[in-house]
Amino acid sequence: MSRTSSTILFAAGVFLCGHMSNFALAQQDATTLTPPPAYTPLPKNTPPVEDTPEQREAIANWKAKAEQKTLIDRKAFNESVTPSYDFHYGKSNPFLPGNVTVQGEGFIQPGAFPTAEYCGTCHQEAYSQWRQALHSNSFRTPFYRTSVNLLIRDKTRGIAFARHCDSCHNPIGVLGAALTEDSKVDRANFDADGLTCTTCHSVIKLDSTNGNASVQMGVPSVMVDENGDRIPGQVSFAMILRHPERHSKAVMHDFLRTPEFCAACHKANLPATLNDYKFLRAFTAYDEWQQSKFSQRNPLTFYTADFTTCQGCHMKRAANTLPDYGAKNGTFASHRWLAGNTAVPFYYGFDEQLNKTIGFLRAGNFLNVDIFGIEISTGDEKPDTRKLIAPLGKVSYTLAPKDLVTAYVVIQNKNIGHSLIPEVRDLYEAWVEFTVKDADGKEIYHSGFIKPNGMLDSRAHSFTNRPVTDAGEFVDNHKVWTIHSVAYDNSVPAGRSVLVRYQFHMPDETNGAVIVTAKVNYRHLRQSYLNNIFGKDHPDYPIVEIASRSRVLKIGENQPEAADPSDNADWMRWNNLGIALLDQFQYAESIQAFHEVVKLRSDYADGYTNIGLTEILWEKYGSARTAIRKALFLEPDNARAHFYDGLLQRRLGNTAQEISDFRKVVEMFPQSRDARRELGITYYQQNDNPAAMKQFEALQKIDPDDLTAHYNLSIIYRRMGKLKEAADQQAMFVDKKTDPGAPTYSLDYLRTHPEISTESIPWHLHSDMVTTTAIGMKGDERDGR
Amino acid sequence: MEDSLVVFTITLRRKCAIFLGICAVIAMPSTCMAKNNCPWINEATASGLLGGNAEGAFTDATPRQPADCTFTQQDSGVTRTLRITVEQSNDPRQQLSAVGSLCGPNSTPVRAIGNEAMMCSLEGHNSLHGTFMAGRARDQVFTITLRTTLKNDPFLTQDALQAKIHIAAEQVSGNLF
Repeated sequence: MSRTSSTILFAAGVFLCGHMSNFALAQQDATTLTPPPAYTPLPKNTPPVEDTPEQREAIANWKAKAEQKTLIDRKAFNESVTPSYDFHYGKSNPFLPGNVTVQGEGFIQPGAFPTAEYCGTCHQEAYSQWRQALHSNSFRTPFYRTSVNLLIRDKTRGIAFARHCDSCHNPIGVLGAALTEDSKVDRANFDADGLTCTTCHSVIKLDSTNGNASVQMGVPSVMVDENGDRIPGQVSFAMILRHPERHSKAVMHDFLRTPEFCAACHKANLPATLNDYKFLRAFTAYDEWQQSKFSQRNPLTFYTADFTTCQGCHMKRAANTLPDYGAKNGTFASHRWLAGNTAVPFYYGFDEQLNKTIGFLRAGNFLNVDIFGIEISTGDEKPDTRKLIAPLGKVSYTLAPKDLVTAYVVIQNKNIGHSLIPEVRDLYEAWVEFTVKDADGKEIYHSGFIKPNGMLDSRAHSFTNRPVTDAGEFVDNHKVWTIHSVAYDNSVPAGRSVLVRYQFHMPDETNGAVIVTAKVNYRHLRQSYLNNIFGKDHPDYPIVEIASRSRVLKIGENQPEAADPSDNADWMRWNNLGIALLDQFQYAESIQAFHEVVKLRSDYADGYTNIGLTEILWEKYGSARTAIRKALFLEPDNARAHFYDGLLQRRLGNTAQEISDFRKVVEMFPQSRDARRELGITYYQQNDNPAAMKQFEALQKIDPDDLTAHYNLSIIYRRMGKLKEAADQQAMFVDKKTDPGAPTYSLDYLRTHPEISTESIPWHLHSDMVTTTAIGMKGDERDGR
Repeated sequence: MEDSLVVFTITLRRKCAIFLGICAVIAMPSTCMAKNNCPWINEATASGLLGGNAEGAFTDATPRQPADCTFTQQDSGVTRTLRITVEQSNDPRQQLSAVGSLCGPNSTPVRAIGNEAMMCSLEGHNSLHGTFMAGRARDQVFTITLRTTLKNDPFLTQDALQAKIHIAAEQVSGNLF
């Protein structure tokens, strides 16, 4: 379908929406809810009401009956579903490959979970937001169902394996024994609600930060009694409104406000029980956050920021427009969980959610796009004689007709608490669209365009990855259990920057100008995945411009110009270039950029640390020591500088100073995985096994998958006679370490996809001179970009 | 002109087939139903939609007939039926249009079911009381008929019919994706 016709179809769809069945849309807001019961919140700091002995007895009786009923119902339910349930992983592991567990014995009947409509009676704001949010639609969307259905239909797997996905996408289904052949469970009351209120609010314990739903689900309860004991099931609204503090105690555990709670599902791995291969990390937004400046747990970030949790960005408080007895001062923590998913609200026609999502993506100052500098060439001179003219806007330069220009576009992941892009990056699509237009608007160069069939330009710089099978084929349709390697991953970690080079020719005119624009666009989801779901005749899904910057390059003299309000300060522009070059292994150029930073900010300790750490990576330890010493002179307590000083002291054999450095970092940042790891190694090298063990165990609590911790603990435990623990650590090390054969799968893929192969090289150039080769076309068609 | 005549003829046949199918469901005694292995909705969910233990039968597709799941629930002389048909088509849009023409001008588009879907009430169709939905997921065209023999059935009111056929449609289209 052409883009024009699909746009018309979309417009027609929007028009028709007004004439559509009202039923579906009526389900999506609070209009069908029962009006909330009358309630006047008590003034702040009012003590809870005292119950009379009769009221206490009534509550105790209610609780006893509720417990008995829940027990009887659960027993009967288990007796009805257990005989036909497929215990694929053994009787003791009914929910594997998911990590979710449940309080008590056996399955829990879906009816034990109070419905969203029940909660929505008093929480209408939360309900209406949740109804349009990803969490309520976590199971039913075609985007998810297409993927999980492939697993269910897979000849060597089946529905039992889908517990891996549904533990997060449909926990009531998993815990309620619905994921088995010939299921006896009525799915009508939970499939459409996905993560309903009483899934998150019934979690009673976080088991770990291993992800894959590592939580313990309690028997759902919305009240506790006067002793704090949970009363299962629904209670009357009058009971809740008389004791809102007891309701809060039942449903609002402190951990709900922590990133570790989000980690339960926003961190996932592919275990051997799913893929019959080995542990592979799928994604981990949690660890990305933990390593970002927003966690204040990592001393090695390039920048600092106020502590901000996942909830701080994705559940911002806002004035409520509907009655909600959970509101405080007229505001409520958003249950929209705004993020990047435009596909779900687009599909369901949730216009409010869609508009707010687009607004969120655009409003957050999440990215900075900087057309930082240019190299000018007539095309005859040697590449290493070209000079970088930078930062643009601050320096004068002259351009001639036909000049070959290489633009340095620096894109900074400035304020995202995780990578650009996070999580399922084989499906999401963010990329740089770079255009050069002459004064008449005629396009001279365009990278990152959308083809007529909706596919992205195969040579675009995209912040994505390419998982591949053991046959070296791209896993285009999210069959995650077939992934054996990742051919490349161009996502940008939190706080870091990427340099994208674009080369083009100036027009053959004696005067005039070109407008150069770099944008970061986002589409949820990749076109070929949308085609997998709907076939090719679906409407165009939204493309959102997250950030952009334009500059005018004139033929002739170019003078400095005023900065745009969104531009970074000059020192930060250089710093970002240095970071980007560091990640491209261009150490000399990176150090030059960091030197420009300290020229502009001689008091900036981190500028010297940046020079030092780059020189460490370049193995120039002498000059690295000079830079780190300067940083510590400026800021004697700078943990980041102490960390790198520790590495340098190790090389010098100054063990006492090495230990002192790392201990200082650990004291300041007890959850620094890097400092724990290095201190553990230091103690290990000193044969101080107990001290090393302490560090590696602490490291494992921060990151349960750290290979260094597994490896060293396996040795230390063996030395200490803890043979079982040693064997466990050894097994985890073997399971989690990279398969040495995996790179060959990636190479097989890259060999047949030269356009992707180029992208997989850290230093690469996008040029208007590249022509598509026959093999490139083949690759392009094959990977569906 | 000939093409449109062919389409009209196919459409008419399709309408008749669906109508006869519905009639057949009414006439089909529940005792002859085999163990149900419906790929698009399970018996427990169908039972919930029909208001009691329903028995179902699945018939695989043949070159001339779509695959078919039919669930029937009997209650004090009232028969409630949920029938689902699914067929693969080389021209799914045309096919959807053909099967959906049963609704005539009363068809209402339904958002967020499959690629596209439509529904209508069966009231007035030869004393049938029920709701009909047709939709497609990629190249698979499905129909869902939910009906009762009792006029003003307190369990399957007009609102309930709409709500329940929507639930059934989410189950069916979700499993077809």
